[in-house]
Amino acid sequence: MKPAQRSALLAAMALALAISIGFAGLLTGAKAMTLPAAVAAVLSPNHGLDGVIVWTLRLPRSIAAFLTGAGLAVSGALLQSITRNPLAAPDLTGVTAGAVTVIVSCFFFLPAISSIYYPPIGFAGGLAAAAACLWVARGGQASPLHLALGGITISLFLGGITTYVLLLGGPQSPSVLFWLSGGLQGRSWGHVGFMLPWVSMGVVGALLSHRIIALLKLGDGVAAGMGVRLRQWKLLLLLFAVAPVAGVTPVAGPIAFIGLAVPHLVRLMKPAGEAWSIVLNLALGGMILVLADVLARTIAAPRELPISILTALIGGPFFIYLVQRRSLVTAGAGP
Amino acid sequence: MNLAGTIQTRFPDWPLWTLAPVALLAGTAAVFMGVVNMPPGEVLNVLLGHGSADARLIIGDIRLPRVITGLLAGIHFSVAGLLLQSITRNPLADPSIMGVSQGATLAISIFLFVAVYGFNSDPHVLYSLPVQWLPLVGCLGGGLAGVVVYFLAMRHGLSPLRVTLCGIAVGAVLHALAMGIISGWGTARLEIVMQWLAGSLYARSWDHVVFLLPLTLLGLLALPLLRRPIDMLRFDADVARSFGLSYRRQFSIILLIACMLAASAVGAVGPLIFVGLVVPHLARFIAGRRFALVLPLTIFLGATLVVVGDLVGRLIGGSQEIPIGVVTAIGGAPILLSLLRRTP
Repeated sequence: MKPAQRSALLAAMALALAISIGFAGLLTGAKAMTLPAAVAAVLSPNHGLDGVIVWTLRLPRSIAAFLTGAGLAVSGALLQSITRNPLAAPDLTGVTAGAVTVIVSCFFFLPAISSIYYPPIGFAGGLAAAAACLWVARGGQASPLHLALGGITISLFLGGITTYVLLLGGPQSPSVLFWLSGGLQGRSWGHVGFMLPWVSMGVVGALLSHRIIALLKLGDGVAAGMGVRLRQWKLLLLLFAVAPVAGVTPVAGPIAFIGLAVPHLVRLMKPAGEAWSIVLNLALGGMILVLADVLARTIAAPRELPISILTALIGGPFFIYLVQRRSLVTAGAGP
Repeated sequence: MNLAGTIQTRFPDWPLWTLAPVALLAGTAAVFMGVVNMPPGEVLNVLLGHGSADARLIIGDIRLPRVITGLLAGIHFSVAGLLLQSITRNPLADPSIMGVSQGATLAISIFLFVAVYGFNSDPHVLYSLPVQWLPLVGCLGGGLAGVVVYFLAMRHGLSPLRVTLCGIAVGAVLHALAMGIISGWGTARLEIVMQWLAGSLYARSWDHVVFLLPLTLLGLLALPLLRRPIDMLRFDADVARSFGLSYRRQFSIILLIACMLAASAVGAVGPLIFVGLVVPHLARFIAGRRFALVLPLTIFLGATLVVVGDLVGRLIGGSQEIPIGVVTAIGGAPILLSLLRRTP
């Protein structure tokens, strides 16, 4: 089989798996459904009780989960390509923390601002945090440890500010805190429409510039030698990487480790070229988050687990495994 | 003589001499100033054993234990930071980067979730929080996280870089889990955890002092005995071994002491971000080439900075005081980032 065919097959399999898990998710919940009932409900939108449950509650939620996972995974893949650093991810470079801090501050101090404006606000915050982190890591030329330390410093700093704002907020804090742990409870079509432009901006941008990404992977010197304008392209790719996070965070909250783990899983599948790698990230990231979401609402039913616990349990050991590999330490000389 | 002259000019003595009065002044100010405006004469009366019941309550039971807890916590964090930086040979090691703080956070949130609320998230029920247990639980959690990091790193021979990366990884996982648990139960009694999470000296009592003091003494008394190993561990493992140091054992002992100091302080006052990181650097900067001064200066500066930071947070915030952890996070991050930028 040709590499491209293999990649296409893998992506199709991940998508099919995501759809079937999402469909299985339609069956479970406060009102359990049989398979034929669910099929009938999907075919007749908003008709009857089952139709309403499926079309206004469970389906948009699963789609939102898919978009969230896809956006985070593509963002992580882009960040890892720009910095050529295996530890780059939205949550480890402070992008998520940046978005969260400004959104939480807006929520408490400027309640007049409608939540429609949260993505652009989060975008600015995430971009500022990413810029600070990249400045510390010298545009990705420093060792992986450097980027990780810079990101963790910025995250801790922003986390301190967020905690203080939450303390000031008083009685409103618990609702914000549930959002802060990441969750897709009660997400509707409005939220899906809200995320879609931002996530697709990142995905389409990444797909269009896949040649540049492939060149950047060879190293800054080689890429410059092949005629890539490093400054402009790195900035543009950074914008593409932050956009999905900015769209996802106001809806689903910060979701940890998806942006780190999925690109590495994709790399293990040996995709044929950067374009396929991005497609695979999209499919696999979405699939994992749909799965995590279904698990989050079924394991402890009727209570709902914050999705971040599940992604931390899935992605965390992966992160630790990654850190354990010898190659990571030898690649960066360290401080 | 010439050389001595250059050393003199590069590392002037005046910071050393001005430091002691400044610290004394800060400590006094922390006791004499506060949200309740009390005339200095009355404060003095209380300190001498007289004064009205109100004044005695405010000074003796609220301000004084608070300042002393701050002093001890500052010493714990900064000494732990110095030890971690020495043995991992990483200028950026810190309890909150090494996963200790996050381990304590997770332990406390699990403790509250299981033992206190018993999976009950009804916001209309008020529970009495066993605040006196929090330090101990936090200490256990932080220590456990340290042990996990240690064993993960040991599989590959405890290279300093490995310890740091493992610390970051474990810390990130524990933090995500803790946030999930804290928000998952969603009760109305969230403020205590939030306040603790921000790192606060609010309402610290003599109990906290009694909890911290033995550990402080234990840690500080062990340091003179470990002076030689600490100096040796600054070298490469092979070099240190060639001096006759049993590398692994000494590394483990010092790591254990650092974890104990950091974890107990995190348990008592919450994660004071960056104190353990910035203070040893400041101490090294002031001490210059007088290496023997680094450790005493670290202890001294750590205690002073936390007390001053707390005073600033109390005075600026007024009745809505700014938690000391937020003050240190805001003050420490720029220093840390510029340090990071400078290290090649």
